[in-house]
Amino acid sequence: MCSALCSPAEREAFKRDEEAFMERFSLSEHEKQLVRSRDFKGLIEAGTNIYALLKIGSATGNSLYRMGAQMRGESYEEFLRTRNISGAV
Amino acid sequence: MGRIVGGIGLSHVPSVGPVVDRKRENDPAWKPLFDAYVPVRDWLGQLKPDVAIVVYNDHVADFSFDKYPTFALGVAERYAIADEGFGTRPLPEVQGDAELSDHLCESLIADEFDLTVCQELGVEHGFLVPMNLCFPHTAAGWPVKSVPLQVNVVQHPLPTALRCLKLGKALRKAVESYAGDLKVVVLGTGGMSHQLQGRRFGFMNERFDQWFLDQLESDPEGLAQISHRRIMEEAGAEAVELIMWLTMRGALSPKAKRVHRHYYAPMTTGMGLITFED
Repeated sequence: MCSALCSPAEREAFKRDEEAFMERFSLSEHEKQLVRSRDFKGLIEAGTNIYALLKIGSATGNSLYRMGAQMRGESYEEFLRTRNISGAV
Repeated sequence: MGRIVGGIGLSHVPSVGPVVDRKRENDPAWKPLFDAYVPVRDWLGQLKPDVAIVVYNDHVADFSFDKYPTFALGVAERYAIADEGFGTRPLPEVQGDAELSDHLCESLIADEFDLTVCQELGVEHGFLVPMNLCFPHTAAGWPVKSVPLQVNVVQHPLPTALRCLKLGKALRKAVESYAGDLKVVVLGTGGMSHQLQGRRFGFMNERFDQWFLDQLESDPEGLAQISHRRIMEEAGAEAVELIMWLTMRGALSPKAKRVHRHYYAPMTTGMGLITFED
């Protein structure tokens, strides 16, 4: 499913009907729920490769740093405060 | 004959791409990185390489986990800019050197590196960010031809650091046995310290990175004994990309001298840079 998101038409299809898109790739109910709830930490724990996850992030409007903040259990702003030069985004 | 005239180890941080595309190189947060490449570009201008062999990894853009090669070499006349999930960057197509690639394939496979041979290959940030930093493009295209050499540092089991060093040595032999008169630079890309997943997201270790740069210069054979586990524990899971720098180092002769060295770690990745002249 994540590889398919490397095409603009498929990203549009995902945004148009996420449920149908996930069904097409035979995601389990557990996996679907993780995507629905934008649970990036859970998706990593379920075995999603980080570079595959980035494509779900892109299709759902979540940058790497937003996903990372969630994995750390922090808000995006809290995460940025832990960086050396947080303007380099 | 072909000659390797230089080697560059450098990070391929994806966020550099939009900075280049939006011409934000002078933003205070990015200037320290781009300033470090001013002397490198001058140096490359004097070396005048004909071809850059870029040792990089794809990030599930053109390759997928259905089939994942350990080592893959591009043999095309040109390489498309891949969409890795964020849209296709506005960059000119990459010009390959199919004749050199064919020779590299024959030589490397005869040397027991059983490559996946790619007639078609889309390149993404792992390849393009190093090109952006070292060889800025114009509307007319890129100033050098390139050969992509993709290494699996993503889907375990991965090749060892020692295997990557040996690949570099075989690459040198391959370039030097090429009939054409050609100057080649080898780019080893990825790293340095970074972890992009789990609780430890954002982990960096400058001490490890500086040590790695020291060892890469002074004792590459010793450095090639490092395990994936040690790199991942000390520098973060995704830092294992650093094994690709050893391919670049292996392609250089013992007399190669280090020229530039720089380190900048603003956000989540230690962005290293080291160059050698051969």
